[in-house]
Amino acid sequence: METEPIVSVADAITAASAAYDELVERAEDVEDEWSFVSDLADAWRARLADVADARGDEPAGSGVADAVAALSAEARAIDDPHRAIDWLSTFPQVLLIAVGERP
Amino acid sequence: MRFQDAAPDARAIVYAGIQADPLVAHVAELLADATLDQRILARAVMNGMSTDPLVWRAMFPRLFGSDTPDGAAGPARERSEAILADSLAVAERGELVRQQVRGAIVEELTERIVRRRAGAGSAEPGVRRERRILFDGVRAEIHPYDVTVETPGASEAIDCKWGARGINADVLHQLDDARSHAAEEEERLIATLVVFDAQRSCDARLAGQTAPHEATRLIALETLDDLAR
Repeated sequence: METEPIVSVADAITAASAAYDELVERAEDVEDEWSFVSDLADAWRARLADVADARGDEPAGSGVADAVAALSAEARAIDDPHRAIDWLSTFPQVLLIAVGERP
Repeated sequence: MRFQDAAPDARAIVYAGIQADPLVAHVAELLADATLDQRILARAVMNGMSTDPLVWRAMFPRLFGSDTPDGAAGPARERSEAILADSLAVAERGELVRQQVRGAIVEELTERIVRRRAGAGSAEPGVRRERRILFDGVRAEIHPYDVTVETPGASEAIDCKWGARGINADVLHQLDDARSHAAEEEERLIATLVVFDAQRSCDARLAGQTAPHEATRLIALETLDDLAR
């Protein structure tokens, strides 16, 4: 699959969003936590959207493209839905650090 | 209100072995003086899939990149490398042991930061682990508190969780009950929940909880150092 190059902060967030969406799908397999999974994903998507709005045009910075690739691959390697729930929190924190934001 | 050692049941005996693992103390020592980014690195690695350090160095360019503030050989980089190595050692354990070790690390880290209240280099004598709190006429809780501060007038009951998902009705009720029972005895007891996860995730978890938690102090990953105050 051809991917767009990561040049800006918005590119980084957009590129990472597909892996995050897949993580959400995996986490939703834990039926008892469906509501929490939904709330958690909404909370972090809102934070990422805020960063994209505020700093989206800024250059992504050194190493960010590799960071997004590594982060997305790590998320896709998670097959346990319980671990996926934990990563719904971890994933955006790692992404935000990479682009120079506090979680 | 009085504090008491927890009964050494089978779970406690097994868990004591985990708590005594030198890796637990070493990771906690590193994390006690770590930055937020380094603590998030530890959290990610200890719950990750990859055990290749190159993957994690790529994922954290602001810790391991060529343009980090102190380059490739400064103290911050050294600490990041040490945290990465020890976190990978945790991740390489079996899943059950990994979960237990992570929990023990959060408790050990909490104790170490709380002990700083007494001042640099001194040990706060009232800081204990695995203690129950007894109140007159109230049945004792089964589960001990992970960390307690047993200083008259400034006592504190602290429970520790690895992630926001660990916040549940049982722990919220236990902490709030302890605080309110202490108040009934005209004692002050701070109820604190330490979560090694982002505040945003904790807020999302708490929003769905009906158990009382307004009077419980929440310490998240971003505010861990507040435990020293």
